[in-house]
Amino acid sequence: MKLGAAELKREREERRRGFFLALPSFAYMVLFFALPLVIVLIYSFATRTSTGSTALSDWNFDAYRKLGEPIVRNVVVRSVVLAVITTVICLVVAYPFAWFCAHQRPTVRNVLLIAVMIPFWTNFLVRNYAWRILLSKGGPISTFTEAIGLGEVDILFTKTAVVIGLVYAYLPFMILPLYASIDRLDQRLVEAGRDLYGSGPQTFRRIILPLTMPGVIAGSILVFVPSMGAYVTPELLGGGKETMLGSYIVTQFLTARNWPVGASLSFVLMAVMLVSTVVYFRSGGRNL
Amino acid sequence: MNEITESQDQRSAAVSLRGISKLFDDVTAVDSVDLDIGDSEFFALLGPSGCGKTTTLRMIAGLEIPSAGSLQIFGEEVGSLPPNKRPVNTVFQNYALFPHMSVADNVAFGLKMRKIPKSEISTRVHEAISLVRMTGMEDRRPNQLSGGQQQRVALARALVNRPKVLLLDEPLAALDLKLRQEMQFELKQLQREVGITFVFVTHDQEEALALSDRIGVMNDGRLLQVGTPEEMYDAPIDRFVADFIGRSNFLNGTLESAEVVCLANGQRIRVPQVDAVSVGDEVQVSLRPERVMIGDLDSAPHDSAQLSGTVETETFLGNSVVYRVALDWMTIEVEADHRPDVERYHAGDRVDLWWRDDAVAVVRP
Amino acid sequence: MSQSHQHRLPVWALRTNGGVVLLFLYAPIILLVIFSFSASRIPGQWGGFTTEWYATLFDDSRLQRTISVSVRVALVSTLIATVLGTMAALALERFTFRGRRVFDALLYLPIIIPDVTMAVMMLMFFSQSFNVVDAVFGLGISKGFGTIVVSHVAFNIAFVSVVVRARIAGMNATLEQAASDLYASRWQAFRYVTLPLIAPGVLGGALLALTLSLDDVVVTQFVAGPGSTTLPVYVFSLIRKGVTPTINSVSVIMLVASLILVAGSVALQRANASRGRQQLQTSGGTS
Repeated sequence: MKLGAAELKREREERRRGFFLALPSFAYMVLFFALPLVIVLIYSFATRTSTGSTALSDWNFDAYRKLGEPIVRNVVVRSVVLAVITTVICLVVAYPFAWFCAHQRPTVRNVLLIAVMIPFWTNFLVRNYAWRILLSKGGPISTFTEAIGLGEVDILFTKTAVVIGLVYAYLPFMILPLYASIDRLDQRLVEAGRDLYGSGPQTFRRIILPLTMPGVIAGSILVFVPSMGAYVTPELLGGGKETMLGSYIVTQFLTARNWPVGASLSFVLMAVMLVSTVVYFRSGGRNL
Repeated sequence: MNEITESQDQRSAAVSLRGISKLFDDVTAVDSVDLDIGDSEFFALLGPSGCGKTTTLRMIAGLEIPSAGSLQIFGEEVGSLPPNKRPVNTVFQNYALFPHMSVADNVAFGLKMRKIPKSEISTRVHEAISLVRMTGMEDRRPNQLSGGQQQRVALARALVNRPKVLLLDEPLAALDLKLRQEMQFELKQLQREVGITFVFVTHDQEEALALSDRIGVMNDGRLLQVGTPEEMYDAPIDRFVADFIGRSNFLNGTLESAEVVCLANGQRIRVPQVDAVSVGDEVQVSLRPERVMIGDLDSAPHDSAQLSGTVETETFLGNSVVYRVALDWMTIEVEADHRPDVERYHAGDRVDLWWRDDAVAVVRP
Repeated sequence: MSQSHQHRLPVWALRTNGGVVLLFLYAPIILLVIFSFSASRIPGQWGGFTTEWYATLFDDSRLQRTISVSVRVALVSTLIATVLGTMAALALERFTFRGRRVFDALLYLPIIIPDVTMAVMMLMFFSQSFNVVDAVFGLGISKGFGTIVVSHVAFNIAFVSVVVRARIAGMNATLEQAASDLYASRWQAFRYVTLPLIAPGVLGGALLALTLSLDDVVVTQFVAGPGSTTLPVYVFSLIRKGVTPTINSVSVIMLVASLILVAGSVALQRANASRGRQQLQTSGGTS
C-alpha cells in the first residue's frame, strides 16, 4: 500500500511544520511564564531567613499556615467584600445601561458602546489618578458638596473611594457581556411574558433575568476577579489604610521581605482566578 | 465492485484511479474506486451529499492524499504530490477568489507563482478573461461582482494555466435556477472550445445528464456505475443508480435464467441480459413510469409484458399525467403524455398495462 | 397586545441612567484635563489658567528619561510579541501538532492572571536565574531594560495571538487551498494570500500590545532596575509621595497619547470590518 505511506508522510510533514512554527513562542512561554509560575510555587514552600532573604531548603508549609492568621484573613475578607460590593454596584448600574443600548438603532448602539470603551482604553494609572484629584479634600467633589450645603466631604483614603475606583475601572467589563446577552434575548419571549405577567417586575424576574443570566455571570466574574486582585486602585485611593490582597502581597516583597508568604498568597490568588475562569467558561462564557 | 469502462484506452486516460480509498479516522469516505477519465471528456461525478465525490475530486487535485491506491494523470503517478506540483486546476464551490486582489490579479496568480514573464502573463490573462466574457472587468474586486461573474473569473483563473485537467466542485450550486441553466450551457461550450478534460462534481442529476459525456455515480464512498447519460438512464445496474437518476418503479423478483425474471406475484417477464447479476440472485426490475403504457392491449407488441390493475390516483402535471396503479401485490407509478389523442383515466378505473421487454433494467437491490 | 403604552421602565429613566453612566465615565478625565491648567498648587482647585505645569515638563530630565525608557520598551517588546504571537496564532489555527492543547491553554493564562501574581513570578524568576548564572558563569546580571522587555513580551504574546487568531478564524480557509492549487509554495501562499488578509489583525494585536506595555505598572515596578524606570512606574511613585500639579500635566499627556492609540485602534477596526464584509460577499456567490 504505497500511498498509505504517502498519506502518513504528508501528515507528519504538516505536524512538523506546525510544531516548528509554534516552537519559538511555545519555548518562550514555557521559559518565561510557566517556569516563573513553578518557581513561585516552589518559593511558597521555602523558608524566610532572619535577614529577610529566602533559603531554598527546609521546605515547609509555614507560608500557607500564615494564611490562616487573623491579619491575612482580614485582608482577604476585606478584598472579597469590596470586590463583591463593586460587582453588585456594577451590575445594578450596568444592566439598565446595557438594556438601553440594546434597544437603540444600530448606529446609536455602536456609538454608545465605543463611548463606553474609550475611557477604558486610556491609561489605567491616569484614570485612577483622576479620581484621586476628584476625591481629595478641597477637590471638585468636595467643593460641589460645600456649595450645595452638604459640607466638606473627604472620601479619599476610605473604602468608598476604593469601591468608586474599582467600579470606574471595571464597569465596561460588566456592560459588554450584559449587552451581548440582552441583545440575544428573543423579543417574542419577552412579549409572551408581558402577556402572562403584565409588564413589570414579574416579567423581569421570571423571563428576562433568567434568560440574560449568562451575561450576568460573565460580567460578574469579569468584574469580581480583577477587583479581588487589584493593586494600583487600592494603593492610590485607599492610601494603604484599607489593605487589600494586592497591596498586602506587594508589601511582602518591598517591606516585610517575606518572599515565601508573598509566593503563597500570589499562588492562592492565581488559583482563585483560575477557578473563576473555569466557572465562567462552563456557564457558556465562551459564547459571549 | 464497480466497472472500469472498456471504451477508453487506458494509456490515453487523462485521469486514472485504481483502488483509490480515503479514510478519515473511522469513516471510509472513499472505498476502492477504479476509474478512467478520457482526454477532452466532460465527466461528471454524481451522487448525494456525503457520497465521497468531493473527496475523490480533492484527491485528484492533491488537496487530500489517498489512504490507498494509485492515481495517475496522463500516465504520471501523482498521488502523493502536493497540489502545486500537479498539472490540474480547481474551480471551488465558493469560488475562493482572493478578495484583496483585482480580477486581473486573481487570474494572473497561477502564472505569477510559476514565474512566467510579465509580458506573457499580460497576454494570457487578457485571453482568459475574454474567453469567459469578462473583458472590461479586469480592475474590479471580487466583492463588486455577482455570483455568475465570480464564477467566470474562477474559471478564467484556472484555465489561464492551461491545465491538463480542470476540476469543478459543484460550481453551480450557489446560483439561482435561471442563472444556473445559463451557466450550464456556457460551461459546455467552454469545454468544447478549450478541449481539455473537465471533471465536474454535482448532486444534481439533471445537470449531470445535460452536460456530461459520461457520468460516474457514487454512493457511500463507492463508485457504483460509469457510463454515458443514456446508458445510465436506460441500463442502470444498481438500484441506487436507477433511483437517483430519474424516477423508477422497482419490482422484486428472482433471476430464473439469463433473460427471465420471476416476479413476486409469480409472473414471468423477459428482461435484457445483464452481467452484474447471476442466475438465482434476488433482483429488482427497474421500470420507469414513462415506459409503462396504459390502456389498449391490442397495440402492445409481441415482445412485451402485460399486467392489469386499478387506478388509485391521478396527478396532472401539465405535459403529462402520473397515475398510481394498484396491482395485486404492489402499487406502481405510470406516466402518460397529456395529449388530446391519449385517453385519460380516473380513480377506480380498471386498466391494462404493458411495457416492451427491453424497456426495463435488472438491478442489484 | 398590551405593550404600546406600558414600557417596563419609562424611557426617560433609562435615558437618565445612560447619561449618568457616560457622565461618570468621562467626567474624571475631563476634569483632570481642566485642572491641569489650573494655577493652584492644591490639585483639584481652580486657581486661574496657566500652562506652567506643562512648561516645567520640558526641564524635567528625569521625566524625559523615563518617557524614553517607556517608549523603547514598548516598541521592542511589541515587535517581539507581535512576531511570536502571530506565529503562535498561525500554528494554532492552521496546524495540529504535539502539545497543541497545552500551548493553547498556556496562552490563556496571561490574560486571566492578576498583575500582582505576574509581577511576583517574574521577580522570583529573575532573582533565581541571576543567582544561578552568577554561580555557574560568574556573570552578574541585574534587572533593567532587558528584564522589563522580557516580562512585557511574556504577557503580550497571548494578547497578540488572541487578536490574530480571531482574524485568521474569520478568514476563508479555502483561499490558501486555492493558492496551492495555483502553484504557490507554502511561503508564497503565506506571503501573497494569508499575510495581506490577516494584516489588520496583526496590526490590531500590535496596537494592543503597545498599549498594554505603555500602561503597565505593577509588573514593571517589580522587574525594573535602578536606572530604568518607565513612565507609569515613575508617576506612580511620585503620586504616593504626594500629589503635585506637574503630575497633573504628565497625566494629561499620557492620556492624550493613549487616546491617539485608541483612535488608531478604532480606525483599524473599521478597516477590519469592511474587509470582512468584502470577504463575506466573495465566499459563495449570490447573484
